[in-house]
Amino acid sequence: MKRTFLLLLAAVITIFSGCKKNSAVPLGDNANSTPAAKKLTIAFLPKSKGNAYFVSCAKGAQRAADELGDKLIIDGPTDPDPARQNEIVENWITLGVDVIAAACENKEGISTALRKAQAKGIKVITYDADALPDARSFFVNQATPQGIGYSLMDEAARLCESNGEFAVITGSLTAENQVEWRKYVEERRAAAYPDMKNVSVQACDDLKDKAQSEATALMGAYPNLKLILSTTSLGVPGAAEAIKQAGKTGVVKNIGLGLPSENKRYVHDGVTQSVILWKTEDLGYLTVYAADALARSTLKPGDRTFRAGSLGEFQIEGDNIMLGKPFTFNKDNIDQFDF
Amino acid sequence: MNMDKHGSKNFLLRHETILFVALVAEWIFFDAVGHNFGTYDNSCDILRHSCEIGLLALAMTPIILTGGIDLSVGSLLGLCAILFGKFWRDAGMPIPVAAVCTIGIGALAGGFNASLIAWLRLPPLIVTLGTFSLFRGLAEAITHGVDTFTDFPNSFLFLGQERWLGIPSQAPIFIFAAIFFWLLVHRTTFGRSFRAIGFSPEGTRFAGLPVARRVAMVYVLAGIVSAIAAIIYTARLGQAKADAGTGYELFAITAVVLGGTSIFGGIGSIHGTVLGVAAIAVLHSGIAHALLPGEMAGMLTGVLLILALAGSILPKMISGLCARKSAPRLAKQIS
Amino acid sequence: MKKYFRELSVAATLAILLLALAIFAPPFFQPQPLLSLVTREAPTLVVACGMALVIICRQIDISVGSMFAMCSVCAGLFAAMHWPLALVAAASVLIGAMFGAFNGALVAGLGLPSIVVTLATMVTWREGLRWLRQGVWVDLPNGVQWFGLPQMAGQWTLAVFALAILIFLALAMKYLSAGRFIYAVGSDAEAARLAGIRPRLTTFLVFVFLGALVGFAATMNMAQSPQVDPNSGTGLELKVIAAVVVGGVAISGGRGNLWGVFAGLLLLACISPAVTYLHIEAFWGKAMQGAIILLAVVADGLRGRKIFNHG
Repeated sequence: MKRTFLLLLAAVITIFSGCKKNSAVPLGDNANSTPAAKKLTIAFLPKSKGNAYFVSCAKGAQRAADELGDKLIIDGPTDPDPARQNEIVENWITLGVDVIAAACENKEGISTALRKAQAKGIKVITYDADALPDARSFFVNQATPQGIGYSLMDEAARLCESNGEFAVITGSLTAENQVEWRKYVEERRAAAYPDMKNVSVQACDDLKDKAQSEATALMGAYPNLKLILSTTSLGVPGAAEAIKQAGKTGVVKNIGLGLPSENKRYVHDGVTQSVILWKTEDLGYLTVYAADALARSTLKPGDRTFRAGSLGEFQIEGDNIMLGKPFTFNKDNIDQFDF
Repeated sequence: MNMDKHGSKNFLLRHETILFVALVAEWIFFDAVGHNFGTYDNSCDILRHSCEIGLLALAMTPIILTGGIDLSVGSLLGLCAILFGKFWRDAGMPIPVAAVCTIGIGALAGGFNASLIAWLRLPPLIVTLGTFSLFRGLAEAITHGVDTFTDFPNSFLFLGQERWLGIPSQAPIFIFAAIFFWLLVHRTTFGRSFRAIGFSPEGTRFAGLPVARRVAMVYVLAGIVSAIAAIIYTARLGQAKADAGTGYELFAITAVVLGGTSIFGGIGSIHGTVLGVAAIAVLHSGIAHALLPGEMAGMLTGVLLILALAGSILPKMISGLCARKSAPRLAKQIS
Repeated sequence: MKKYFRELSVAATLAILLLALAIFAPPFFQPQPLLSLVTREAPTLVVACGMALVIICRQIDISVGSMFAMCSVCAGLFAAMHWPLALVAAASVLIGAMFGAFNGALVAGLGLPSIVVTLATMVTWREGLRWLRQGVWVDLPNGVQWFGLPQMAGQWTLAVFALAILIFLALAMKYLSAGRFIYAVGSDAEAARLAGIRPRLTTFLVFVFLGALVGFAATMNMAQSPQVDPNSGTGLELKVIAAVVVGGVAISGGRGNLWGVFAGLLLLACISPAVTYLHIEAFWGKAMQGAIILLAVVADGLRGRKIFNHG
């Protein structure tokens, strides 16, 4: 026992004393290049790694990084534990990246880590889902949560002629941005469409198959259901399949947030009426351009507009860089997109 | 103990020693390959990230020693985290009082597991499978899935995020817990009874030991430790949510088994568990610093686990082979 | 009667739940949603049958979820390459059997504890698949869904497949000597060995069989929608183990039968839709599931204690 203990103690002391002091050793070798031409390391954090939505964002991000000549690191949690994103950010801090672009699963939780990054001189920008304002310099906003929530509710009301029952399928009950979108859906409903009733909110744990089961149960439990609204991209195809199998195509309308590629089939079959999203690749592209500009100080707080490569100019409202408005994909235009 | 009789040769072949060597090799490898891996800041980060899992693994070790298992520790962490938030925010308790109440709840929950396992003698796997769902479900129900608790005072967040005397503030808690469990398992009669129960619960009962009480003790301890881990987790994140600690139980079990504790019970050590936690934490950090894909960490953990298991049965296989070789000689001696 | 106490009590609980639904939510019993529910759960039933065999053999396999995902994606990719469906199914079964064989070799061959081995393989396959697919779905060509049959026929086909497997295995476990061997090895491997059974071979084959069933279940799942989600199968192991255990199979091996597993699976599968139909808030679902598992096990324990005290 004594031997083990002494050995352990010796090892711990060796390891800790052998540690180099963290001398902000940045990645890449830029000793000789001028500051403006320095190759930056941009760390890109999706909400979860295996999610097709973020894969699409990452594609745009990689394109931007290649155009700018920067190094892009993409890493994200593969399981739902809220602490994972923090750990990844903290690893990046010790790695010494130049700027972090994060889609935040937990607003307050991640801000803890992002503030630390800022304290170490790493620039922080958020996209898709924001952190607390003091933890980042800018938020690349594809559409405000209010815009998303209102668009969903407006589309739902349009399809239901402003009256009737509808149900919501969400990814998980705890995902904060979905909670926010639901809040705005409800706000819009109460203000503009009081004759519409939200009868139920079910979670599908971001699994298409579970969304299908939930939708089947919803249609059975609420026979007067007119529409199913999904705030997760996994919900729309799942609900569509359920509607199709129940033989209620056209009777129960199906809308939600989703990728055009996953929903083309159902939109053409008339099962899904519309899918709302934004150009995810553009979101990633814009984010990386903004991150790069932020790190090089060409993008500063107080700027009104920002130019991002081949995409052109974007408005900045306060500290939100606006990608634009949510886009509605339907039968008429869905074939034009391949993401 | 074997070590004293057979000296250094046995010591070198012990599971913990091999794991220790592997850990050092891992460290050296990632230090060379990774960027800024071997720095003091990163070591502190590794320590900070592995505190909660480490606590759970420490509590899991005596449970597995008794031949049981506890799949509910991760869910209990989530439940305790949101209850802590609720006590503080909605019931207006000061942080220390809320912490004590949370630990009380953790003990109660552990007691619930204990009553079913120790007194009703139900299989631990199933009971904790049920409480795995039940605790998480209660956490979701109490918060309606959406409620989170934030804006904790800075004095509390210090526990999870800052450094105290140069090391992460939660480290002393972990070190204290490690020492406590080490003493409990290796230096008290309780610890010996855990092993005995793991080897043979009936035999231990006939030997006069209060098996039910000892088994109950380890599950209640796990409940208390989960609550403490929940408080540290909340301080580290600055937020309490219902899905806190998802997946932690498997991580803890992996660390315990990696450390040489047999899942069947009876054999194992706390220092092995600590090494196991360290090995996994270093692996995850190293992969991130080497800019390799995160999934690789998971895959390598699986491979490491199988190697560790295979390695632990090697001595048995070797001695089995030797025994078979010497059997004819013995037979000659007897006849 | 006493011998089947557990199975009957699970069936009774299921009956009570169905009664509550009949009174408070009669729409639950409409034919089309019910058929959809049954079809959705058919692959899970197949996996549960395999898992029951493994648990009766005193082992466990928590990697079934990851195996299921792997087989689903492989089956989807083969189908997307326009292989004939029979070949796709065969390939999926073969791949599942290979994974099962890997687990079995480590458990039976090296004597490693099954829970840890399958924990390791679960993590490894899951992370490996995530890395390879990066969450991208597999688009299936037309004609794969429902095996190219009209929807109702396809759903009935899948349901019948699952029930056929259940009935075949339930009878096999009772009347075939191979089934008896599994019970024997599960109750006492050493005694079985002395009786002439080969416990290591039996254990190995049981894992292979579970893998094969998982592969088949993956094909059944693939045939239900036009796309394959690589995250399918998440949480499958917990669902299946819970169903098996609630259905009366002892985790210590040697006891239990597949009819109980069937009842257990139906009970657990009905909880989630019941929550929706009874207009209960969604966040109570998990708590209810945990409570039911505990109730089932506690009832067993109390009954066992009574017998122990009186016997």
